[in-house]
Amino acid sequence: MLLPRFEYHQPASLDEAVEVLGQYAGEAAVLAGGTDLLVNMKHQAMAPSHLVSLAGVEGLDQASADGGRVTVGPLMSAAVLAQSEFIAANAGALALGAAVLGSPQVRTRATVGGNVCNARPAADMSVPLLALGARAVLTGPDGQRQVDLEEFFVGPGQTVRAPGELLSALEMDAPAPGTGWGYQKLGLRKALEISLVNVAAALSLEDDGKTIKAARVALGAVAPTPILAPGAAEVLVGQAAGGDVFKAAGQKAAADAKPIDDHRGSAWYRREMVAVLTARALNQAWARAQGQ
Amino acid sequence: MAKEIIELIVNGDRYEVAVEPWRTLAEVLREDLNLTGTKIGCNQGDCGACTVLMEGRSVSSCLTLAAEAHQREIVTIEGLAQGPEDLHPLQEAFVEHGAVQCGYCTPGMILSAKHLLDHNPTPSEQEIRQGLSGNLCRCTGYSKIVEAIGAAAAKMAPAGEGE
Ligand SMILES: Cc1cc2nc3c(=O)[nH]c(=O)nc-3n(C[C@H](O)[C@H](O)[C@H](O)COP(=O)(O)OP(=O)(O)OC[C@H]3O[C@@H](n4cnc5c(N)ncnc54)[C@H](O)[C@@H]3O)c2cc1C
Ligand code: FES
Ligand code: FES
Repeated sequence: MLLPRFEYHQPASLDEAVEVLGQYAGEAAVLAGGTDLLVNMKHQAMAPSHLVSLAGVEGLDQASADGGRVTVGPLMSAAVLAQSEFIAANAGALALGAAVLGSPQVRTRATVGGNVCNARPAADMSVPLLALGARAVLTGPDGQRQVDLEEFFVGPGQTVRAPGELLSALEMDAPAPGTGWGYQKLGLRKALEISLVNVAAALSLEDDGKTIKAARVALGAVAPTPILAPGAAEVLVGQAAGGDVFKAAGQKAAADAKPIDDHRGSAWYRREMVAVLTARALNQAWARAQGQ
Repeated sequence: MAKEIIELIVNGDRYEVAVEPWRTLAEVLREDLNLTGTKIGCNQGDCGACTVLMEGRSVSSCLTLAAEAHQREIVTIEGLAQGPEDLHPLQEAFVEHGAVQCGYCTPGMILSAKHLLDHNPTPSEQEIRQGLSGNLCRCTGYSKIVEAIGAAAAKMAPAGEGE
């Protein structure tokens, strides 16, 4: 399996990258880690005649916090995200998802921007980002725009990103004190596996350390895109955190899920697992929110 | 289409090569530099036969464009032994523990193991297995590979660490 031929561009800045992308609009693809793109090209699923590599663009592989806002660079790899103390403290769900993506070799190269732009319904970094309430910052010829991740995903492999736009950052609000995160991934094997079901949860407690102030639960592999489970969040807020309310949230999340039958698992099984994994992810988030 | 001149630093040696942009690092290592220790199995990121270290981290060289390795430090299996009689402790342990059968997966296994031990010198059995989760072996059943890596870790650990 050889790669089809293409011309390679390595712009040195974001502006230049947007310019090159615009110049070959429709024929160019962005290259980040290549773990999706190059596989697809080898399978002849796509044959862009120009690849615009982001490797030379500075500043895209950094994370920062500023005035209540956390920014994650799209070129940060799963390996770096999984080990970053900054990410663990400010966007913990993302670190948890990154740690179980693919294999060590894939994690070295796989970027968070690629995971989001590739838009698979089970993507291990996209589902946590949805639970974190992340926004996609898109930079194109007409400047920047921000899109909530919920609206960014349109279908499997489809997003609202225009072909001339780059994902230049992921942004989210800094976590409130007393916030914790959980991530649960169920596959048929323990490694190198696209999830059968995956669930990410973010939970913030009131100052009393018990009452749930805010909650977000995101589900993967149970709809054409990663989705939020608003029903789960609704039953949680205002309640005292604990096993019973987490179980109830799991039931609501199962109702919010829209799974299908496929060769990897039945819709019925997936729905059951959404309930179980949601409760587990919430427990995990609760433990961390209490500082354990 | 124009070839690009790229510079690769492989096992400490500097190479200038003219490559077409669509060629992978695995292809260039094997075909242009004659470093055929790096194997190509699935050619799509699943099997780990093509594993090399880039800037100290394991990557699938079949999914890395050679152009993206420009001016990066690469370590291949050829870079581990100090001489024909002076194998790396991981290589020695693989031989001693019978962790090599056909040998096709071995270079990738050893580089994944090196990545693991460089980041975690005293891994548990579970951590060793996770460290190998991107490498397939169709001969050994993995047990002997896991044993070999455990033994190498014990030997390499500075006195006082590990068992
Ligand atoms: C063996 C193997 C195992 C895998 N296992 C998993 C797994 O367990 N979980 C999982 O979620 N994924 C898995 N993947 C898929 C893949 O590794 C991830 O989706 C990864 O995060 C993609 O990132 P990348 O940087 O490699 O993207 P690329 O392949 O470089 O890009 C992916 C897509 O996004 C576009 N793109 C990338 N960055 C940008 C940007 N900044 N702006 C605009 N467009 C952009 C590209 O044009 C392309 O269409 C696996 C892949 C392989 C090969
Ligand atoms: S040949 Fe690269 S992972 Fe199989
Ligand atoms: S020894 Fe033959 S594939 Fe591992």
